[in-house]
Amino acid sequence: MADQIYNAVFIGSIYALFALGFTLVFSVLDILNLAHPALFTLGAFVALFAMQQGVPAALAVVVAFLVCGVAGVLLDRVAFAPLRRRNAPPLSAMISSIGVSLIIIRLIQLKYGPDLQAYPQGSLPADVMTVAGLQIDTLRTVIIGLAVALMVGLTVLVRRSRLGRELRALAENPRAARLLGIDVDRAIAATFFLSAGLGGVAGALYGFATNSPFSQMGLNFELKAFSVMIVGGMGSIPGAVLGAYLLSFGEVASLTFLPSELRDAFAFGLLFIVLLVRPSGILGQRAVDRV
Amino acid sequence: MEDLQAFFDAYQTTIGFIGINAILALSVWLTLYTGQLTLGNAAFMGIAAYGSALLTLKAGFPFPLALLCGALLAAAISLPLGATVFRLRGVYLAIATLAFGEVVRVAILAIPLTGRGQGLVGIPTKTELWHIYVSLLVIAYVCARLRISSAGRAWSAIREDEVAAASQGIPVQRYKLAAFVLGALIAGWAGGIAAHFNFAIQPDEYGFARAVQILVFAIVGGIPNVFGPIMGAIVLTGLPAVLQPLQEYRDILQGTILVIVIVYAPRGLATLLDVRRAARLRNVGAQDVA
Amino acid sequence: MDRRILGALGALAITIAACGGTATTGATVAPSASAAKKADIKVGLVVSLTGVGNVYGPVQKNGAELAVARINAAGGANGANLVLVTDDDQSSTDGGVTAFRKQVSQDRVVAILGPTLSGTAVAAHPVAQSAQTPVIAISNTGDGIVGKCSYGLCDYIFRASLGESTAIPQTVNIAKSKLNVKSVVLMYAQDDKFSSDGFAIFKKNLESAGITIKKEIAFSKTDVDLSAQVAAALAETPDAIVDSSLAGPAILILKEVAKKKPGQLVIGGNGFNTPAIITSAGAAAEGAVSGAAWYLANPDPVNKDFVAAYKAKYNSDPDQFAAQAYSAMYILLDALKRTPNVTSVLHDKLRDQIELTTGVKTPLGEFSFNSSHDVNQKVYVVQVKGGIFTQIN
Repeated sequence: MADQIYNAVFIGSIYALFALGFTLVFSVLDILNLAHPALFTLGAFVALFAMQQGVPAALAVVVAFLVCGVAGVLLDRVAFAPLRRRNAPPLSAMISSIGVSLIIIRLIQLKYGPDLQAYPQGSLPADVMTVAGLQIDTLRTVIIGLAVALMVGLTVLVRRSRLGRELRALAENPRAARLLGIDVDRAIAATFFLSAGLGGVAGALYGFATNSPFSQMGLNFELKAFSVMIVGGMGSIPGAVLGAYLLSFGEVASLTFLPSELRDAFAFGLLFIVLLVRPSGILGQRAVDRV
Repeated sequence: MEDLQAFFDAYQTTIGFIGINAILALSVWLTLYTGQLTLGNAAFMGIAAYGSALLTLKAGFPFPLALLCGALLAAAISLPLGATVFRLRGVYLAIATLAFGEVVRVAILAIPLTGRGQGLVGIPTKTELWHIYVSLLVIAYVCARLRISSAGRAWSAIREDEVAAASQGIPVQRYKLAAFVLGALIAGWAGGIAAHFNFAIQPDEYGFARAVQILVFAIVGGIPNVFGPIMGAIVLTGLPAVLQPLQEYRDILQGTILVIVIVYAPRGLATLLDVRRAARLRNVGAQDVA
Repeated sequence: MDRRILGALGALAITIAACGGTATTGATVAPSASAAKKADIKVGLVVSLTGVGNVYGPVQKNGAELAVARINAAGGANGANLVLVTDDDQSSTDGGVTAFRKQVSQDRVVAILGPTLSGTAVAAHPVAQSAQTPVIAISNTGDGIVGKCSYGLCDYIFRASLGESTAIPQTVNIAKSKLNVKSVVLMYAQDDKFSSDGFAIFKKNLESAGITIKKEIAFSKTDVDLSAQVAAALAETPDAIVDSSLAGPAILILKEVAKKKPGQLVIGGNGFNTPAIITSAGAAAEGAVSGAAWYLANPDPVNKDFVAAYKAKYNSDPDQFAAQAYSAMYILLDALKRTPNVTSVLHDKLRDQIELTTGVKTPLGEFSFNSSHDVNQKVYVVQVKGGIFTQIN
């Protein structure tokens, strides 16, 4: 029982980190960035590359954050900014992101092959501790701690900092934000940097935990991210965190009470019901959306 | 001439799938034309695929009857679904239909009748290319007629501004539902045809990836008229086949082309070709020139 | 500006199509054979180079290419060179059917090896069957692939990849007799054909061996975390956990088990037979048992020669999939040598010779087909010991 909870906390943390980046771009720019899973995967492989050059794991995570952050900014420049300039409908941005996703994943495959990879031997902590009858391993505990720190950091950034205020203004009304003298382009670049950076870190950390990064690893998280955002509340950062842990705990709980074949049906059925009863989610602010 | 025959035989599947994808793109076009973003058509395709395949395989139904039953089953399920979810808008609607799609996929995996994870094999391959293309012509014609009819105008009005349309006396919910159910019917027909084209079907084929793919066809093609989705399907289905010799880099090329096309034609290829009309509309300051 | 881009794309597409189309059709007319130079024999290879099966496709291609290179260097099939035509099945039924159709109609291959996944095979094989082109399945281990096929008559289809219905009974036997397994929890990925087939076969064999299945736990092949399922499995305190899945989930399970209960025996199907299990799961893979068609350390001389040649060419160890592709090519060669005047038509003569295959020495051991066109070879039940697959039967 206790280790079920520990597992749920761990995987919830990964869901949260993944969903945070996704939510950030959606709430500020109304774009469903379907290249986010590719950035997640990129993070795991950037870390792999760095560690193969001898960089220690902790530093490799930082490298993943920076590289993916830059990739996110580039993604915006190439795939989204031109659409914004032309006043394109939001769906086109989604399609554009699909194209970029194909490219990133294939490039990773060409360099590393489609096989499951593994981080260099001995580069990751492998010890398991027993604390009060509960078996926990160092690696996952560190990951949980790091994830929580990042979540707190992002929330503080959005609530307290000037950049955060700019992002919130941008989310409310881009035109007004520009009129208020906010450098919209810089704010958007910052959004993508943070979003992609967080996604990349999530990928690296998940890659560490499973020690089997592979080119398709991000896709499995994509659907979960939708559930997380809806349940927690679209466009809400604390909502994404809440939604992530609710999902992970829900998945673990449903394993106990439901036949295993129906587990996914439970998750999506619940999602469906939430949408009907309270589409804004638990912490969401926008109940009705423009198409 | 013999080479042409060989080429044709070899690419029969691709040519068939271009037609099937065009039908699917049209099914999604209907709801997009009313301004609704739904991701459920892959699931309706799957429901009808399994339904019609089981009828021919296990109950010996004649092919046309099985197709019809499959499509009607999909439409029947879409009715209560649509009635429930159309209160939602935008991305919430999309995710609700996506969730429905996942529930269908899980149901297929859990019900022994469908062969579960092993899929259905040995489906009689009754579909000929002419079945596909005649269906496409009929469906395209019906959609084109609907578009210029009063129903089509109502859908356009709903897409522009739902509240304004309602205030003009248009029964918005009913029209949205009609588009949704019709779309499900068409997607179901495509599903039945596709199932009898390839000997075997698997639950994986009707999931999120397929739903997104159909949407991409319609949006890349553009939604101002029926040629848009058809064009989108032709280009995007033909493209991987054409890029086969470059297997290694196929995905990269596909992704690049997708980005280029959508950046230069954000409202779809069809609007690109309709340059004059677009220019005229832009001259009078219209924002959405679809 | 916009129109020009479209025009350029269109021209590009047409150019590529033209190039792609003519390159292969030009070569189908065989020159009249002079005594010294015989016409090339085209052999088809359809594997998953993209999509979920692409973990296996590229190494299968390596194995096949290595075999063709060595065969041609040794004189080919009675003097005729083999030419390998490779196509991607994209891990989907559509892709498999398209690739098979292209190879039988356009390339006119004498036989096809592939496709990679069992799910693709049940759609693609009928294409070759109706075109009377022999097929040797090199990695399909599910049910209904040969013999009594789910789609009807399949007398042109052969299988060189050890079926799970042959391997699993051996694995279960060893589990019972040597490893004293009396109770298990059966975990399986419910949403792919290979894993679902394996699950059914495991269940049948465990039950007839009198081993108690304490619980059946299904999961999805795309699940990102299996710790909850593993915890549920361990709660039943089985002698062994049986996992029917591909390598990805298998690694997750092995790692979780090693964390929670080191030393717990884990038994798997063909999904375990890849080195990725050992590299990714590391120490957690110790003790894992599976039934394999081949293992790297097999001291058989034919195998050692194959392993050395593969290493020299590709700078890495081969795996079971490469070995099966390589072996299938030699099996085909053996039949080709016995078939007079093999051309792109008259495939039934080639089929008849394939049926008569016996005693062919391959890295899999001595090979022949049984009356159901299925594999007749020794099953190696292996266990990971010291990071290496070691035979235990």
